[in-house]
Amino acid sequence: MTVPVRIAQLSCGPEYSGVQNEINEAARMVDAEVFYPDIKLSELRRDFDSFGLDVRSPDLKLAIARAKALVDGRVNADAVFIASCFRCAEAAIVRNELRRFIHENSRLPVVSYSFTERTTAATLLTRMEALTTIARRRALLAREVQEGITMGVDSGSSTTKAIVMKDNVVVGTGWKPTTEVMKSAEDVITTALEEAGLHMEDLDAVGTTGYGRFLVGKKIGADLIQEELTVNSKGAVYLADCQHGPSTVLDIGGMDNKAISVQDGIPGTFTMGGICAGASGRFLEMTSKRLGVEITELGPLAMNGKWDKVAMNSYCIVFGTQSLVNALAAGSFREDVAAAACHSVAEQVFEQQLQEVDIKEPVIMVGGTSLITGLVHAMGELLQTNIVVPRYSQYIGAVGSALLASGFIKGE
Amino acid sequence: MKEYNPVCKGSVTKYVFVESPSFTPSDLAIKAYEVSQGVMIKETCFGLQITGNENEIETIVELLRKLDPLHIFVKDRGFPPGDNRRCRSNLGGARPGYFGHEFEMGLLHFISYGLKSLDSSSTPDNEPLQRKMIEKIPLPLEKLRQIIDSEVN
Amino acid sequence: MAKVFIYPATSLMLSDLVARFGHKPLGSAISVRDHIQTAGFESPPLQMTPDDPKKGLKYAAVEVPSGVRGRMSLYGPLIEDADAAIIVNDSDYAFGCMGCARTNELVKFLIKERKMPIIELLYPSTEEEGVTFVRSIRSFLDSLKDGSP
Repeated sequence: MTVPVRIAQLSCGPEYSGVQNEINEAARMVDAEVFYPDIKLSELRRDFDSFGLDVRSPDLKLAIARAKALVDGRVNADAVFIASCFRCAEAAIVRNELRRFIHENSRLPVVSYSFTERTTAATLLTRMEALTTIARRRALLAREVQEGITMGVDSGSSTTKAIVMKDNVVVGTGWKPTTEVMKSAEDVITTALEEAGLHMEDLDAVGTTGYGRFLVGKKIGADLIQEELTVNSKGAVYLADCQHGPSTVLDIGGMDNKAISVQDGIPGTFTMGGICAGASGRFLEMTSKRLGVEITELGPLAMNGKWDKVAMNSYCIVFGTQSLVNALAAGSFREDVAAAACHSVAEQVFEQQLQEVDIKEPVIMVGGTSLITGLVHAMGELLQTNIVVPRYSQYIGAVGSALLASGFIKGE
Repeated sequence: MKEYNPVCKGSVTKYVFVESPSFTPSDLAIKAYEVSQGVMIKETCFGLQITGNENEIETIVELLRKLDPLHIFVKDRGFPPGDNRRCRSNLGGARPGYFGHEFEMGLLHFISYGLKSLDSSSTPDNEPLQRKMIEKIPLPLEKLRQIIDSEVN
Repeated sequence: MAKVFIYPATSLMLSDLVARFGHKPLGSAISVRDHIQTAGFESPPLQMTPDDPKKGLKYAAVEVPSGVRGRMSLYGPLIEDADAAIIVNDSDYAFGCMGCARTNELVKFLIKERKMPIIELLYPSTEEEGVTFVRSIRSFLDSLKDGSP
């Protein structure tokens, strides 16, 4: 039996929101345990005062002092989970500052989360899994070169992707919209292997990621079944050729978005989620349908438009679509509508998620939406940076899986 | 979701803290066992936790208070003693409420002193109800002008 | 005997003094005990479930964070049940149930809104203040006995 990963909890409110058990449960599911760093009252007073953020809530003071104990090494932990109530401004400030403080002053992976009473263990699972992976598999995540013949399969909520790699080169790709999880996976595997001129038995190792990772992984006997936060980070820095130093990985997905602050290829802090499909790839899919263009044409169309000519806020996908219809009915240009849709999604990701991670250059955009040039442009404008979109960025999870799977080739 | 069936239903738990120069938690425990009448008693670093039905607990609390009224303090507790949901060894660190106790324990000697004063009739009972905030009176304009003038000249 | 809400609701000294002078202290432990001793679905550590923040909607709107509403579900009924209240205003080190400053602000407001007899104090920091503290509380509690605070 493996030793459970010890996750230090810094929090205010989960016990009173009825979600503490969900946090514990999510940790248990990935063989981890959540604990409160033990400090004394005198340390609490001293460390809260010296931190300098003069908040009023006693439980937040406690969280600050406990964070100091972790960074100083007075309490040992493998990872840190920071949690506070959604919509609490005081706690949001503390959450952000503690995440930054721990990230900058220790090697502890951190995830912060704002919960409501509706938060479940299932929602927290991927985050906990990523925390434990980073803590447990640092050696695996240190891999920088793909070796042998490996395959990665990314069973995502919108699309399923497969990549076959040989000696650090992509030799086969497969991509299709996800319908039946297993059927879609089998199809993309077949396509990728055909393109590579290989068979299943030629593969030295296989990895899976994405929502369907457990089902697909079990069925095809994967050597590595891994959540998409660590896999995508690894894939992104590998493809963008910036495996050393800091970077930020941004993946606007079909169902949720991921923003990951990466150091030497290993996620330090990350956030995932999304309030509404209005801030996801889905909204852009709907936009392209309404405009009568393929999703692949939406980006170039948007690049020729001006976003500020159309009022649009896709905070809600229903209202966003309404704005879209209204704008077209009022005679707006399709190009401007396309640009406004891209800007709206970028703005929401920026406002809702990017505030939770430290944006450090280079910013690498991955996933299917990274091919929508209008979206990448809008995000670049908001972040005031040139965003990197590496080749094969739409296959990011599959590439990351194939790369990491080579760590499982026999004899390694 | 698992069903939850409470243990100790209908019971009451109280903390009995002792902050005394002459009376230790273990002294208190010995006395408590003598009058326990079968209620559950658990000795801790600060005193005791006692669990039983409400009437039994009230009786024992009254008896224990008499041992050293100025230095024994009693408070309700929601959990029964040793409950692993609140236990330090299980949580990795102290439950948040522990720090609150630790903070007030540091002030109990002032309360003991206050209680002792009730026995003497030397101080009248119509004390001001709370400490006065230090009133900040704004500097009169004329005074400020004088200060500025004295600095400038 | 009056039911006296204590603030901080986790206070050892207030709980003790109220009971010592013949009244019933109403604090967090009473509500937590209720939760711990009520059958339902398992939700450690406090047996509070997502239903508790919903009960808290009686005291704070849905836009208020769940932790505030959950805590209010512990305190609201106690405040409604109380005949009087003792408030120690500089309780900066009461955690857990009293760990949220926004909840604490609302608790104090609801106490005052009920127009019940209230005494507001600060923690003693000298022996003299200890005397004032204890005497003030005793006078206040004595006044509750004859119903004319």
